[in-house]
Amino acid sequence: MSGVLFHEQTARQRIAALADAGSFVELLAPPERITSPYLAQLGIPVSFDDGIVIGHAKIGGKKVYLAAQVGQFVGGAVGEIHGAKLTGLFKAAARDRVPCILLVESGGVRLHEGSAGEIAIAETMRAIFECRALKVPTIAVIATDIGAYGGIGILSTCCDHRIMTEHGRLGISGPIVIEKWMGKKAYNSADRALVWKTSGGKTKYLLGDADALVHDAPEAVRDALTKLIGKSKPVNLGSVKARQKELQNRLKRFGATDDPNVVWKGMGVRNIEAASLASGPEFAALAKRGK
Amino acid sequence: MKKPTPKKTSARAVLARLFGASAKAIAIEKSVLTGYASVGGGKVCVIGTSNGTYIDNEAALRLAAHVIDCIEKNPKTPIVMLVDSAGQEPNRVAEMLGLASYFGHLLSCLELARRKGHKLITVATGQAVGGAFLCYGMFADRIYALDSATVGLMPISAMSAVTKIPAAVLQKLSKTMPSLEFGAAPFALLGGVEAVWSAKDDVQAKLEQAIATATSEDNRAELGKKRGGRKLALDIRKKVLAESAR
Repeated sequence: MSGVLFHEQTARQRIAALADAGSFVELLAPPERITSPYLAQLGIPVSFDDGIVIGHAKIGGKKVYLAAQVGQFVGGAVGEIHGAKLTGLFKAAARDRVPCILLVESGGVRLHEGSAGEIAIAETMRAIFECRALKVPTIAVIATDIGAYGGIGILSTCCDHRIMTEHGRLGISGPIVIEKWMGKKAYNSADRALVWKTSGGKTKYLLGDADALVHDAPEAVRDALTKLIGKSKPVNLGSVKARQKELQNRLKRFGATDDPNVVWKGMGVRNIEAASLASGPEFAALAKRGK
Repeated sequence: MKKPTPKKTSARAVLARLFGASAKAIAIEKSVLTGYASVGGGKVCVIGTSNGTYIDNEAALRLAAHVIDCIEKNPKTPIVMLVDSAGQEPNRVAEMLGLASYFGHLLSCLELARRKGHKLITVATGQAVGGAFLCYGMFADRIYALDSATVGLMPISAMSAVTKIPAAVLQKLSKTMPSLEFGAAPFALLGGVEAVWSAKDDVQAKLEQAIATATSEDNRAELGKKRGGRKLALDIRKKVLAESAR
């Protein structure tokens, strides 16, 4: 391993580290100067990529479409242009029958652009399912503290696969919002351990909402991508009925507890202390994930 | 700016307006609607929310179960989705158990229904905001709204509180940028709603027509451009498709 931490990389560095050397071709690249008129009107700095890098590349010699959200720019939030780039990419993937990978880093809709971002997320969901109907694999990589929240959290669950690291967080309402709503006693957003056990990669992997839990390293993410890139998950009567049952059981088993450790134990983690300290893949080995 | 004054209409009254006497067969349990009714003499499956309720894991599962029931027992029956929900309740346990995945599952069930020939029509009847609208209503083939519905991301006051941009600034900008405005009419300008139905309209006839004319391709970006509320989305998408085809 290179020692590079995936969560510390920028969006373009992540793409460069995952793609075969020199294979990435950016679409609607920064020189085209496509920027948000909303932010401009509000006097907020704009970005020439509107917070998302999209394009195509090869991974292990296989063509993929790739998008990477830029967390440093308004929290990777989805505005009209950002969202349209994402919709277009999944539509291109469906048209060309090429797998599509989204490196997620977004709190959801960009509030400064109001409902336009919300509709864009809904349109992208439709485009993701267009891919899935054609058996074109779609993969969300969730590997940073900003994670996948709000509409982008929901959107991530529409993809065939989710690859997470222990840094990654997946949910809808973020910890600060919940703290405001339920009170600090019920959820202290500064309690990092609790936040990670609520929305972090380990818990999501245990419950089966993440398909892989890997090291916080570009090589590890790339390995996981290589394994999943050719696999699609069908949406058919059998699959949705099985999922219905699984989610029902999950609610029945754990709906009455607010202690993540109960969920961990229930899902086969024997030593909570050791599992908390374990790295992603060690954790995956320690915990025999319940089906 | 006239404030939208949400009239408190009972869930049963809304259902009766949309489905007439056939609305009686629709169950309302903890503000979640499931059942079958008829529109213009044809059977429809109904799922939805009422009273501005929050959608939690259990509610999502109940809606999904009814969609599966419809696919299995009533092939190709149109599914009418009613939305009156303030969103997902910000709740730690719901998040811990993966609320996003419950919503993703509901969307998968609706996608399966669409692929199997069920038409999907949404009517926003009350609050249709944020995640509540994204987790099923916005996934329809065609989306309509009663003019009494509050549709959009969030009101300007809430947007101002989170972004720290003065409400007056957002208010002024919303005159030229309908995306910032909150309501069914501006949402329609963006293409997010096909048409707004007013109190005078015969909504049963409108719903019948909506079902008859719906097609499954997503026309929202085209609408948004045509109506001038969302000028960029369609062209950007086309540019991506053109550049990637080179």
